Amino acid sequence: MSTLGTRRTIVSDAPDYFDLRHYAALAETVRQWRALGEIPIGRVPAPADHAAICRLLFLEARLLDAGRLPEWLDLFTDDCVYWLPTDVDGGDPAQTVTWEMNDRRRLEERVERLATGRAFSQAPPTRTVHLYSNIETLTAGADTAHVLCQFLIHTNLDGRVSQRAGWNGYVVRRVEGLWRFVVKRINLFDADMPQNNNSFTL
Amino acid sequence: MTDMDVLTLDGGRFAHLFRPGFVHRDLYVSPAVFAQEMRTLFGRTWVYVGHESELPAPNDFMMRSIGRRPVIVTRLDDGTLAVLLNRCTHRGALVCRTARGNARRFTCGYHAWTYDNAGRCIGIPLKHAYGDAFRTDANNLLRAPRVESYRGFIFASMSEAVPPLVAHLAGARQMLDQWLDRDGGRPVVVRNGEMQFLTHANWKTVYDNAGDGYHPPFSHTSMLRVFAERYGDVDMQYYSENFDEAPLLSKDLGNGHTMLDQRPAMHAQSAWARQHVQPGREVLEKALVDQYGAERALRMLDDSTGSGMNLNIFPNLLIIGNQIQLLEPQAVNRTVVRWFSTSLEGAPPEINATRMRMQEDFPSFGEVDDTAQFESCQRGMEDVPELEWIDISRHMRTGVGRPDADGLWREPISSDLHLRCYYDAWRRIMEQGDAS
Repeated sequence: MSTLGTRRTIVSDAPDYFDLRHYAALAETVRQWRALGEIPIGRVPAPADHAAICRLLFLEARLLDAGRLPEWLDLFTDDCVYWLPTDVDGGDPAQTVTWEMNDRRRLEERVERLATGRAFSQAPPTRTVHLYSNIETLTAGADTAHVLCQFLIHTNLDGRVSQRAGWNGYVVRRVEGLWRFVVKRINLFDADMPQNNNSFTL
Repeated sequence: MTDMDVLTLDGGRFAHLFRPGFVHRDLYVSPAVFAQEMRTLFGRTWVYVGHESELPAPNDFMMRSIGRRPVIVTRLDDGTLAVLLNRCTHRGALVCRTARGNARRFTCGYHAWTYDNAGRCIGIPLKHAYGDAFRTDANNLLRAPRVESYRGFIFASMSEAVPPLVAHLAGARQMLDQWLDRDGGRPVVVRNGEMQFLTHANWKTVYDNAGDGYHPPFSHTSMLRVFAERYGDVDMQYYSENFDEAPLLSKDLGNGHTMLDQRPAMHAQSAWARQHVQPGREVLEKALVDQYGAERALRMLDDSTGSGMNLNIFPNLLIIGNQIQLLEPQAVNRTVVRWFSTSLEGAPPEINATRMRMQEDFPSFGEVDDTAQFESCQRGMEDVPELEWIDISRHMRTGVGRPDADGLWREPISSDLHLRCYYDAWRRIMEQGDAS
């Protein structure tokens, strides 16, 4: 346990977590997202599942904007990936540097860093309003689904207003009846260009 | 030893910006000084424009800059390199608008003046209108008159009157060798993506910080605290109470180049063992041990852990850990900091994947806080006209500097030696004036 009361993962016991096969599978998922046309009828989720997944996204946005990061962290599975690439071409994370490529442990470290009171990049913290729209959901197995959405994050850092925009790709899994994030890939539309302070949580 | 020269050099048009142990805020806030730097400082010395591995094939090119000058670095058919000013000789437009690619010629979008990738003008539509005396070859793209590379690092100079690159690199050459010769000297490849940070501060604040061994335990408290609480005595925890006594040092490499050397602390035993965790650490280490045996696997991992060097090459190239950092000044108070990641040619994929994750570590856990400091300093320097002077005096009067075993001048890690060396070189070049 950290002083925040959040869990501390030291070594994950998830199999193949962040090994080369995992990287290849992640790259393949992104390739499919980028190539996706009209969603096949067979992959359209039941309306109740679509609605439940939308609720998860809206909950995420609400927790992020309120700075409730320990609760936000609880929305991610033990084998989660939070991925912010530097490229817009879908590069292989085993060979391409990213802005952030977090496993569960690294995501916990980030939340802990922001809570130290000494994270000068977030003193004062960036205020955010996360808007999610164009939400599309696809089934990917009995208890797994993929989600694509557009995001606009309106921010204010110490009086300076700016926006972040792009699309998110999520893999979500139903765990004990509740949908949780397995992968969140944040595709800034200008990830390969100079970035302002992105040390808040996108 | 050159660090006192800034204090003793008399006269010159920039003399009013210097006094013993201090530099004037105009170096960071004056648009006029900035404009002069872009013209003279970047016009009269060697400037890094990229790495040869970024242009692996004939006719590859990439856009870069020399100060504010847009340039195209090209690899010609015969493998040689050229650095062309990306400015149509006709009206000034860019002739290349693509960050990188492969092309034998560049055609200006405005009136279709066309140049080959050595810069020769090879086509002008409706040329007859310029008269019979017109010479196409008098309209070649301007080329940087000097281009040399050192073990893959390409430098260009807008002035013919510079010493050979290796002479300019001085003591930085051997440090670059040491950086390149890790892991048996497998070639370093710079084709694995980059991070571009926009910093609302003068470009030199970034350089000042790369050589600043005084700030880590303070500016990086958040990072150090999280890692210490989780993982104990891992890397960078050697910035203890009196870190000037730790085996860490600041070094003058000549011609404005300097280094923070953390290797004596970081690489004393296994740097990999001391490295705090990164995603995939255990699983990739295990895969390497299974394939290569523990001894060889751990040696490869040690050689790919951060280098423990901050090698600062005048005026805007910083080699930090395993990354190549390039400062691109945009305006007096705006800078793009480009972090190029590196891999090793022929290394196991687990090594390069580990390198990617390690190279993401400091930028997002440390650099973000530094950037906040640069922007904060910029504001203070700009907005308080009553306080004109910036302190660069640490260890100037303590008498603890001495030659190291390699003959290079060394001072304790928290020294401002790097700033004094830098401004000494800055002044020498800036006092030469405009002509490039």
